Parts: sequence; structure tokens; C-alpha cells
Amino acid sequence: MSESQKLTSPERRSFFKKAGLGIGAAGVAAVGLSGNSLEAAQPESPKDRTASSYRETDHVKKAYETSRF
Amino acid sequence: MVTQTIISTAEEVIASEEALRANAYALLATLLRTPPTAETLQDLARLEPDDTDLGRAIGSLGAAAAAANAGAVGEEFHDLFVGVGASELKPYASYYLTGFLYEKPLADLRDAMAELGIEIADDSAEPEDHIASLCEIMCGLITGAFGAPASLASQRAFFDKHLAPWADHLFEDLETVQSANFYKPVGAVGRMFMRIESQAFEMAA
Repeated sequence: MSESQKLTSPERRSFFKKAGLGIGAAGVAAVGLSGNSLEAAQPESPKDRTASSYRETDHVKKAYETSRF
Repeated sequence: MVTQTIISTAEEVIASEEALRANAYALLATLLRTPPTAETLQDLARLEPDDTDLGRAIGSLGAAAAAANAGAVGEEFHDLFVGVGASELKPYASYYLTGFLYEKPLADLRDAMAELGIEIADDSAEPEDHIASLCEIMCGLITGAFGAPASLASQRAFFDKHLAPWADHLFEDLETVQSANFYKPVGAVGRMFMRIESQAFEMAA
């Protein structure tokens, strides 16, 4: 059994239900978490860098042309 | 074996009520970090009450959002939280626990974050012991945003040390401070949710 499954005793589940957590969270889910001021402290992998790396789109080419690069 | 509804998160699958806790923390983090946009207010306006204390507070938040406009809420946010020395409230653990910013509670939090492998993103200028950061950390521990979902014991250790000693005082202040209007029900939701979390952690022990 995984650690996350162990978290949920039936007693705990029904407590949250009675406490009214369900209703709010159901509606609240749409609001979501804005901004990410925190992150996992992991170095960016080379793969991620490639994925977000610069690509020369037509728009950029045009910009280069007009600025005579 | 009890059948459970499960909700997928980015990293793992966590039980539905744990996802609801994560959502509640995410909501508080969102509302306490920056003023809500008109779109967020519209989403919040759909929140409806139920017959629990938390449900009533959530209903009040929905009603407040429906009646609010983003400009006024932005000003209220600024008066309440922004401006060194000028804001009504200083939603930082250090301030609530010692009367000053950048004190030991912040150092303790930084140690805990290092241990948990969480770091502050570059664009964030305020000290990490802001209530929104702490709610964000709890959310991430539950969902596994910073790695695998944290054990309940580890969540509890973080909650007991970094939120329980002061967060309910801040939320109470938010409920009662004169210049608060939209943020009063935010305070009520926060205070009740903190109480529920404390009780649920007790139960799990």
C-alpha cells in the first residue's frame, strides 16, 4: 500500500466530509492556484532546456529582417 | 477494502479528500498572495454555502465575491497587506510570533524548506514566511508538487511548526479588522480550515 493511500482512514475521510470541506473545494477547484512562487529545488534538466529553447518563427525572422540583423 | 474516488494530480494519484485539502490551501494562497482578478471573483461568486461552519464561511465568500469589484478589492488588499509599516496586517510568521520581520521563524522555515527540497522562485521578492507561501507549501506537500506527496506525519510536522502557532491569529485579525470587507470571509474560511486541519491531524495520530 502506498504512502498516500495510508493517509485516508475512513474516520478521517468522514471527518472532512462532515466538516464541509467537500462543497467548498468542489467549487474552489475552478479557481486554482495562481502564481508559482515556490518550486521543487531541482536543477533544470538539459531536456527541459531543449523543450523551451528558442525557435526561429516567421515572426522572429521578420523582426530580424526589419532590424537588419 | 473501501472503494475510494481518486483524483489525478500532475505527479501522483491522491485520495479525493486530500485533494480537497490541497484545493483549500490553494484557494487561501491565491487570495492572500495577490488581489483576485475579475475572472477569479466570478469563479468565487459561484461558491455556495452548506450547513457546516466552513460551508457557511465559503458561502459568505461567494456572496462577497459576487458583490465585489476587482478594483475595490485590489485597494482593500493593498491597505490590508501591502506596504512596509503601512499595511494593517503583516501576514508573516516572524511578525506574528516575534513582532518583527526576518526573525527566527523565517530561519526555521528556510531550514525546513531546504530539508523538503523546496526553494523560492526567482521572481518572488517577499520573505518565505508569508501566509500564502506556507499555504502553497502545504498544498504542494499534499499533491506532491515538490516531489512525491508527503506523508501525513511530515505534513503534520510542517503544519504544527510553521502554521499552527500563528495562522489562526492572522485569520481572526482578518475577520475583525475594520478596513476588511471582501477579506473578512477569507479570514473566516482560513480560520475554520486551520481548525479542521488541526483536528484531522490529531485524529490521524
